[in-house]
Order: sequence, then structure tokens, then C-alpha cells
Amino acid sequence: MFWTRDFVGGAGTALVGAIYYYYAIQMRVSALDDTVGPSGLPKAYGLILMALGLAIAVIALLRSLRQRSAGSALENEWTGQGIRFARAAGIVAIGVIYLLIVSYVGYAPGIALLLLATALYQGAARNWRSIAVAVGGAAALWCIFVLVLGVSMPRGLLFPG
Amino acid sequence: METILLSLQSLGDVTLILAAIVGVAWGIVGGAMPGISPSITMALLLPFTYTMSPAPAIVLLASTYVGAEYGGSIPAILIRTPGTNAAAATVIDGYEMNRQGKAGEALGISLYSGVLGSLFGLTMLILLSKPLAGVALSFTPPAYFALGILGLSVIATLSGENILKGFAAATLGLMIATIGTDPVTGGNRFTFGSSDLLTGIAPVMIMVGLFAMSELLVQAAGKSGGEKVTSRPRIAFPNFAMARRLAVPQAIGAGIGTFEGCMPGAGGTVASFMSYNEARRWSPNRSQFGKGAPEGIAAPETANNAVAETALVPLLSFGIPGSNSTAILLGGFLIHGIAPGPMLFQRSGDVVYGLYGGLLAAAIALLFVGMALLPVCIWMVNRPKPWLSAFIFALVMSGIYSIHNSLFDLSVLLIAGVVGFLMRILKFPFLPAVLGLVLGYLVESNFRRSLVLSGDDYSIFFTDKISFALLALAAVFIIGALGKRVFDFFLAPPNADKAGDVA
Repeated sequence: MFWTRDFVGGAGTALVGAIYYYYAIQMRVSALDDTVGPSGLPKAYGLILMALGLAIAVIALLRSLRQRSAGSALENEWTGQGIRFARAAGIVAIGVIYLLIVSYVGYAPGIALLLLATALYQGAARNWRSIAVAVGGAAALWCIFVLVLGVSMPRGLLFPG
Repeated sequence: METILLSLQSLGDVTLILAAIVGVAWGIVGGAMPGISPSITMALLLPFTYTMSPAPAIVLLASTYVGAEYGGSIPAILIRTPGTNAAAATVIDGYEMNRQGKAGEALGISLYSGVLGSLFGLTMLILLSKPLAGVALSFTPPAYFALGILGLSVIATLSGENILKGFAAATLGLMIATIGTDPVTGGNRFTFGSSDLLTGIAPVMIMVGLFAMSELLVQAAGKSGGEKVTSRPRIAFPNFAMARRLAVPQAIGAGIGTFEGCMPGAGGTVASFMSYNEARRWSPNRSQFGKGAPEGIAAPETANNAVAETALVPLLSFGIPGSNSTAILLGGFLIHGIAPGPMLFQRSGDVVYGLYGGLLAAAIALLFVGMALLPVCIWMVNRPKPWLSAFIFALVMSGIYSIHNSLFDLSVLLIAGVVGFLMRILKFPFLPAVLGLVLGYLVESNFRRSLVLSGDDYSIFFTDKISFALLALAAVFIIGALGKRVFDFFLAPPNADKAGDVA
């Protein structure tokens, strides 16, 4: 009933603050440290983020209590968001797969696959033209980064050294 | 006068002029694509600047900003969809002129006004930046700390509807800035044994992740499609009579744009809407506003282009980025080891004069490149969205890898993109996080140095006059914004129907 975006955001923020604070207090103290020390501000940041997160969550809670139609507001806020998360996750997955394979397949084939996968995932036509655009685009990017800018892109197992 | 001469001298450098032309061209095309903001357009270029010399790199980014402000008006006029937020005011009369078959004239007025706004803004930038930076030359560590706090206090006006979320985002940025080597003792913090984290996380990864990557995720999550441009207009510049008619709204736009640009947090959108409103108020043709009045294009377009230049005043003088775009520009400075702020004019005067010269070249190039690129912009706007996203994704991944030749950086980029996406869904603003990230080192190192200098006496922050003045100003910013919000929270009637405006 009270799981509004503000409440979820506040609770998540407080959690991040707590985790960060936990790691901040684990830092070793050295005799050479200044009075504030390396952990001084991080501990403060952690506490501040926790406090801000809790404040955001509490205010969100009070707001939803003030609104008579809290149930309908919640419904509007989250309706249809699942599919949006899933579609965004697909793009991230393509990025992660690229990260995992680029060292093996090399930059040009890897980026061609990334182009093709991203375009197809977002509704591009499944035909030879799409493959040609992906290959042509990868070749153009390879020229820009490797030939023009001289960046040492991953060569892959096929073209090592 | 000396500054102007040195700036003009820098125009002898061909690379600066090339950077200005390429930046303007990239900015126009990026700004013309709805959903791609000036900051995203700049962020996409950021990795490329690593291999460039500092002055052309900064000119490239700043010119992109200039070009994007004009580019945003192209879809605003042709398909009623502003390419940038600041072009939203141009939609009102620009689209009406298009419907009346005057798209070419509307685009001409937009381009002409944009060039005038840029030239006026550049003049104000040159006049204001150095004197302000001169004030800051006598800064001590407590004053630098206070300057960082003043920069962070801008968050109070940048946080949108929820100031607490703005402060939380800023704290998140400050936390990310603590990763790596401690600025005083040299010990490791939050590195978890990873050598990749020893030097910290470069702001460029977070900026590109938050702005460009999260935009990709949002676009992938949303509906595809969008209106296409069917007409093929040619730019027609105003004749003498029309130019005279536009002089007053352009002066209004230039004045408001300059003021808003110098104010951190205000930005081009506020300036263009304020200019539109004031131009209508002072116009003898006010009944034509909303029905295709040329003044309704001239005022906002002059204003948002003036903002593109004067927004650099707080950045160059104090190192405070007041908008997303200037935060990206700050990233460009940091990439080259240059810290904007009080010492910039002393240590990197050549870069500043190169920037001024480059911006002058950009303002002039805007006129020609804007005309030449109109068909390209229309072609780009009509490209299938899946391929546009795919190429931006590939460009981002390739660009970020090229910075350190590191796959680890790509992981950071993806994580920053996911964090940015969640921040958008949960309605947390980005800019405070970027401010926290870029000001974190300044704040922490000078806070601790001040205490070492004073023997742990916290009164040093109040006995130092500059520090006290800056802290007092920061307090005014924060208390003013907080006071307004507390007033709204308790006294304004509850708005029960806000759930629909979700990301």
C-alpha cells in the first residue's frame, strides 16, 4: 500500500548508506593518520545517506497516508513497469555478453554482434540488410578507433599478437 | 582587451577551428535527435578527447554544446518535438510557422538568433570570467573547502521536486569519489583488493553511464517510433525589416540568457521560457504569439544559445558546473589534468584563450554548418530508432574502452548505466551525483588539510574571511530552497494526482 517510488527510493538509499558505512568502519586505523583519517568522511557520508534515505522513505509514507487514494496511486506508479525493467535488462545483458566475448572474438566481430543484437532486440527487421548494416557499422567503428585514433582494441583468438 | 587579442591569436591554430566545426556539426546532429540531450551528445564525444591536446578537446566539447542548442530547434519546428529541453519554447511558434508553410523562415530565424545569442554570450563570458577568477586567487585550503560546499549547495536548486533526493544523489557522488587512494595518507579505500580501483573511478565513466547509457536503457524500455519529417525545407534568413523586428526579442533573450547562464542550476530551459514570456509581454504583436510569431522563436533561441556560453562563467571562474552540459565539460577538463577554478587562468591560460577563440569560431561556423547540415539532420531524425540506439551503444562501449584499454571500465559503465536507469525510475536527479563526484576530492582534501593547518581547530572555516563568505552564501542557497519546500509541504494543498507523471 505504501510502496511508492519515493518509499522504495528512500529505503534503497538507506540500504546503500548502511552497506557503505559498514565498509567505512572496517578501514584500518594507522598511527600516521590525521585526526579525521581516511575513514572520517566516508563514515559521515554513510550516516548522512542513511539519514536521507530514511527521511525520504518516511516522508513518502506520510504522503501516501495523506492521500486518500493511496491504493490507486500505487497502482498507477508501478503499472507496466515490469516490462520496462525487463526490456532495459535485455540491453544490459547484451552489454555483459559483449564484455565476456570480446576478448575471444576480437573487437570488430564483437561490435558487429553487439550492433546486430541491439538492433534486432529493439525491433529491427530480421534480414540480410540488417547483417550488412551491422558488419558495415563495425567496419566503420574499427576504422575510427583502430586506424584513425590508434586505439589498441581486443584482437581476439583469431588474430592474436 | 588583452584577453580578446590572445583569444583571436589562438585562431591561428587550425586544430582549434577544426575542433569547433566538428563540435558544432556533432552538436547540431545530436541536438536534432529527440531524446539525445546536449549533455548526452557531449558525453558521447568525451572518450575521444583523451587522445587530443587540451585546448582542441575543450573546444570540441564546448562547440558541441553550442551546436546542440540550435540543433534542438530543428525537430521542434518540423515535427513539434523539441530535440532539447531548451527548445521546448521554440515549439510554440516554430511549429505554427511550419504549419503555415514557413518552416524555412522559422529555421532561418532560429539559426540567426542562435548565432547572435552565441556571440553575445561569448562576449559576456570573456568579460565576466577572468575578473571573477581573480577574486578567487587568494584562496586558502579552508576557502577551497568552502568553495566545494558552495558548489554542492547548488544542489538545492537542481534537485527538482525533492531536495532530499538531490542531497542523497550528491552524497552518492561524494561516496564514489572516496574510492581509490586517500588524498592525505595515501592509503587504499574501498578498493576490495582490485588494482583497477586504486586510482579511483574516473568521472567520465560515471558521466557517460549516467547520461548516455541510462538514456539507452530508458529508450529501450519505452515505446519505439515517433513522428517523421516529411517536408524538405530550405533555410531562409530574415530580411532587414524582419531583422529589425526581431532585435527587441533577441535583446531580451540575450539579457535573460546571460543572467540565467551565470546562475548555476538555472539553465537554458528556464531562460528560453522566461525570454518567450518577456518577449510576448513587451511585443506590440503579442496577439500573434502562439500563432506563428517570429519573435516567439527569436527570443528563446537567442536565450538558450547565450546560456551555452555564459554557463561557462561559474565553471571557469570557480570550477562549479551549474548544468549537466557544463558537468560534462568539466569532465573534459579533468581528463587533461586541468582543474577549472581560480587558478585556471594562471596555470592554463592558453587553454582558456583557445576556448574563447574556439567558441568564436564555433559561433561563426554555426551559421554555415547549420545550413549545410539541415538535410543530414532530417535524414538522422528519420532513421529507424533500433539502429540509432545500436550505434550509440556501440559508440559508448568503444569510446569508454579506448580510454584505458580496459574491460573493467566497461563494467563500471554498465553499472553506472543501471544505477542511472534506477535513479530515473525512482526520480533521483543526476547532476547532484556528478557534482558530488567531481567536487568530492576538493572538499575532502581541503577539509582535512585545513584541520591539519589549524591543529584540528574547526573555527578556521569561519575565521578565514573568504571561507566564511562562501559558507554563508551556501547556507543562504540551502536555507532558501529548504524554506520554500517546507512552506510548500505544510501549506500547499496536496496534489493527489501526481502518480501519472512517472519516468
